[in-house]
Amino acid sequence: MDVLKATGGTYSWFGEPPSEKQRQKIGTLLETPNFYHYLSGERNLRIAAAIKGRGAGDIPRVLEMVKLTERKDSKFSTYSLGMKQRLAIAACMLGNPDVLVFDEPTNGLDPVGIAETRETIRLMAREGKTIVLASHLLDEVEKVCTHVAILQRGELLMAGDVREVLVNEDIVELGVSGGLEGRLQEALTSWPGIRQVKQQDGLMQVFFEAGITPDMGELNRFCFEKGIVLNHLQLRRRSLESKFMELTNEPTKTIKNN
Amino acid sequence: MRRPLGIEWMKIRNYRTFWILLGIIIASIPAFNYMIFSFTNNQFPKNKRGVSPLGNPFSFPDAWHTISWFSSLLFVLPAILVITLTTNEFTFKTHRQNIIDGWSRNKYISVKLVGVLFLAVICTIVVLLTVLGFGYLGNKGPVNVSIWEGSRFLFFYFVEVLSYSMIAFVMAVLIKRSGLAIGIFLIYMIVEQAVMGILTNIYHLQAAQYLPEETTDRLIPLPFIQISDPAGWEHRIPGYLIAAAIYLIIYCVLTSRYFLKSDL
Repeated sequence: MDVLKATGGTYSWFGEPPSEKQRQKIGTLLETPNFYHYLSGERNLRIAAAIKGRGAGDIPRVLEMVKLTERKDSKFSTYSLGMKQRLAIAACMLGNPDVLVFDEPTNGLDPVGIAETRETIRLMAREGKTIVLASHLLDEVEKVCTHVAILQRGELLMAGDVREVLVNEDIVELGVSGGLEGRLQEALTSWPGIRQVKQQDGLMQVFFEAGITPDMGELNRFCFEKGIVLNHLQLRRRSLESKFMELTNEPTKTIKNN
Repeated sequence: MRRPLGIEWMKIRNYRTFWILLGIIIASIPAFNYMIFSFTNNQFPKNKRGVSPLGNPFSFPDAWHTISWFSSLLFVLPAILVITLTTNEFTFKTHRQNIIDGWSRNKYISVKLVGVLFLAVICTIVVLLTVLGFGYLGNKGPVNVSIWEGSRFLFFYFVEVLSYSMIAFVMAVLIKRSGLAIGIFLIYMIVEQAVMGILTNIYHLQAAQYLPEETTDRLIPLPFIQISDPAGWEHRIPGYLIAAAIYLIIYCVLTSRYFLKSDL
């Protein structure tokens, strides 16, 4: 977006090197809404439309879309945080661009503003727009996005379907006594859907393939039939944050999902 | 350039502070000159023929010189307007949004530079109207003198007000905060005068007269008193103008390169 001077690397829009002409065709909201405080919402949109090389005819539509028609003549400085953010989204929608870029679009918003913003983004996605959303809120990414890419210090760690990359994994913790850990680990290899087994803090942690929810009763019976009596059996939900930490702290150990 | 200028106009035409500052600039030039006119007209004893020892400084042809010089003392007003309008963009981060929405950095800084030029032109037009007003309404000067004689001082005023406004623009782009930029602008004006005084009086360094502020100041010498070395002053005018032009180019290049290279 020519806001920061890149130290390296290249990128393209629509298969071409970036230029101001292409920026006119992209709706972009980078963190905070940037408008002239002394002008009304509508006058601010007129300036944005003029810079994008578009007429003012689209302004009523985008104002209606973000429910700001009634306050279009109020000064931007009188808007609430949520309204300011919605006005910024309206500016992005001017000219009905096919590609939108949102960087932390719910930053600083109250819960109502967050819900409104996310709903607006989902609405635009349903209209077939390509929306590039940068966020540190994994919960938001999971709720809003269809695909995700995780970057760390400019390196792409992972990319793919959001349901695969940021899946809420279930972990089963098993404990045995009497030096049976080896037998337990061996027995678990024949249990279907297990992706990884590792020992931590004297317990066996079992990771399952995406989408598989283990039946704890069956697992207990399975171990018992193998002659292993469990003294600890617990199903734990792993948070998205811990998954993200795992991805960003141990990039080489995680599965690559390209 | 017409389209970007139209967008700049959209930004300021509903901005009350802009109109207030512009109104002050437009009103203060004739008002300040009238104040000086009234003072010089009433405070100095006239001889038997009703002539002031100062002559007729507000009549043609001296009006060009007198009014240009007194109007140049108000340089701080357009400078404040330039700083306010420029730093507003940084405060609201709209400079960043303008680029995101599809302006090139080059277009953004170019339209701002043209804006400064426009303001200098407006100030010059106000001075022109003030000169014509005083000249026609109270003309007591020689009847056989063309009213345009001495009008080069109006051009010198334009160079001076453009130069001061560009220094203000440089401050605004580099400092980005309104109050701080105005403060440093004023401090710079005082410091340069002090440096110029030291270099000229103590070190007898004649090059000091070509410092950014001083070189345009010297284009319009103090009115009322006879220029001590008229031929020398005439001889140095091209040098002052060339120095002023070089400084203006430096201001343009400096602000453009800074804006083109920095993160927004």
